[in-house]
Amino acid sequence: MNKIRRPSEGTAPRVVLIGLASCFGCQINITNIEAHLLEVLGQIDMAYWQLTSSDPMPDAFDVAVIEGAVTTEEAAATVRAARERARCVIAIGACAATGGIPGMAADDLAAHSARVYGDAAPRACGAMRAPVPVSAVVDVDFTVPCCPIDPFQFVRVLDAALYGSNRLEATSVLCGECKRNERGCFFQDGTLCLGLVTRSGCGAKCPALGRPCNGCAGLSPDGNVRAARFVAARSGMEVRRFDEALAMFNAVALAAADEEGGNR
Amino acid sequence: MSATRISVDHVARVEGHGDIRVVIEDGAVTTCEMAVVEPARLFESMVLGRSFGEVPYIASRVCGICSASHVVTDLRAIERVFGVGVTDRTEALRELLVYGSYLQNHATHLFVFAAPDFLGHKSVFPLADANPELLERALGLKALGNELCTLVGGRSIHPITAVVGGFTHEIDAGEYRRLAEAMDAARDFALASVDLFRDFDTLDIQTEGDLLAMVAPGAYPVCTSDTARFVEGGYEFSAQAVEEEIEEYAVGHSGAFLARARRTGRPYMTAALARVNASWDALCKDARYVAAKAGLRPPERNPFANNIAQAVELVDVLDRCAALCRRLAADEFSGASAPVPFTVRAGRGVGFTEAPRGALFHLLELNGEGRVTRASIMTPTAQNIANLEADMRQLAEKMVAAGFDGDMIRLEIEKLVRAYDPCLSCSVH
Repeated sequence: MNKIRRPSEGTAPRVVLIGLASCFGCQINITNIEAHLLEVLGQIDMAYWQLTSSDPMPDAFDVAVIEGAVTTEEAAATVRAARERARCVIAIGACAATGGIPGMAADDLAAHSARVYGDAAPRACGAMRAPVPVSAVVDVDFTVPCCPIDPFQFVRVLDAALYGSNRLEATSVLCGECKRNERGCFFQDGTLCLGLVTRSGCGAKCPALGRPCNGCAGLSPDGNVRAARFVAARSGMEVRRFDEALAMFNAVALAAADEEGGNR
Repeated sequence: MSATRISVDHVARVEGHGDIRVVIEDGAVTTCEMAVVEPARLFESMVLGRSFGEVPYIASRVCGICSASHVVTDLRAIERVFGVGVTDRTEALRELLVYGSYLQNHATHLFVFAAPDFLGHKSVFPLADANPELLERALGLKALGNELCTLVGGRSIHPITAVVGGFTHEIDAGEYRRLAEAMDAARDFALASVDLFRDFDTLDIQTEGDLLAMVAPGAYPVCTSDTARFVEGGYEFSAQAVEEEIEEYAVGHSGAFLARARRTGRPYMTAALARVNASWDALCKDARYVAAKAGLRPPERNPFANNIAQAVELVDVLDRCAALCRRLAADEFSGASAPVPFTVRAGRGVGFTEAPRGALFHLLELNGEGRVTRASIMTPTAQNIANLEADMRQLAEKMVAAGFDGDMIRLEIEKLVRAYDPCLSCSVH
């Protein structure tokens, strides 16, 4: 359940933005709403944002916005410390929300590291651990999905975190949203698309532009992976290909589901 | 014995995480490190076994700001393996996509990251009060880059439409014409930016290493050539031979591999400054003129001049984009942008582009099913770190000799780091 948090009386709520392992694209996308950026920033005390300012991280803050997956023990400690200090934690982007692309290395991390770095990764990389979403380490109050995030969706979520909102997260699968774009279906020409199991809310941007869904918004709670595998097989696609494609952004969730007996 | 320790954790206003460690003992610099403290990101391993159609989509995630460059570079590597020749129209669209990321990157770097150094601010936000018009126009230029990437690639970051052989979607002629007009309207601000950065004081140092850039006869290429040039070394090589020409090596204090030229053993800088040095004659007329007026003409080896070189490229890119958009609107390029047919086959290919921050190489080996069996990525920032450290050392030594204190030296080193426009997250992949 989303918790509604209210900013401290009389003062602008203090917000920090923390970047973990990521491409920084979600942070950049926040700066990409140029026309609104200063309006948004005018309502909050943006106390720490290493990408844009040399001010150090303060000891106390209201909201922690976290980008990136947790891939080191140091990152896990950072996230825990942020959780202790913040009244509200917002995970932004696929990496923070699902483990995202970094999650592809979760299975047999040591082998992945050895292939890039040989015997030992440089000490600068920190103490590596299998990548997980932020919610695997601490409680997360709000999530902004997708790779990259839609910055306007971020503003809506920030607004909900600060002032409350009765808007619920989208839970349905992408196919419904895509159908309304009236662009046809990839399955008709035997092209694999992950809209069947992916959370809606992005407007089905990729299918609308001729690219199948890659599942960056994460698995929908309404999605039925087993049924989707069946549909893929019926449409002439290998189930192995379906699983492989789904693991691009959802490796961590799929591995967890397998451990629970493959009921997804 | 006196020792000064300069230590900056997580240098601000750069992409990614880096620490500066400099130790000066009795007037001599004994330690000088740009520590890239980025967690391992393992892209070169994660793409193994993946099919060619997914690989550019994954590689895009190496970097949020130059995602367009990573996609185009990966596509070029795959197309080299398959022997795909794309249409002129597709080439033009890819150039537009790469230029879109130049506008995004240079406007962000110059105004959000670098300018506060020279204006005495900790961030760009005080500019909203101090000089609202400057901030508004700077953000406007960045927005234009976003719009270009969105219209051509489908969104401002991590393009959707660029695939092997072409594009899955294209905008109509009216939108190209509107973009061309927006490019024209931004010109005066880009020209003024060159003057602004020219007027900022910087220390006079000469970079230690060589300069590397893509070259082509009579052109200022960004994604249409396969030839790289070491400007000082005075030799060229094919991108396909990048592993024979450039050596990557590991150091404990950096999650990124450092690089040096194998023939000379020298570090090098690859950036807008290297491109301007390598292809000055092919800059658009206005860009060349305003660069000359700002005192930027080859040979220019002061790494701080990379800021001015980026501003000059803003002028150049706006000019080129306006022309490309008008030609696309008038249907002057041969062929369509829809993906051309191709046959999957095994082989090895190197994709090469000039990303906003410098030369970017992607090496891919694919098997007969089009799945990756080996991948190697060399980003501009990873290539630059060894040279940046050499320049940091030189700067520190000069300032110590001139009697500056530790705080002043720290500020100037931070400025130098930002002048390189590093993407530290990208450098670890």
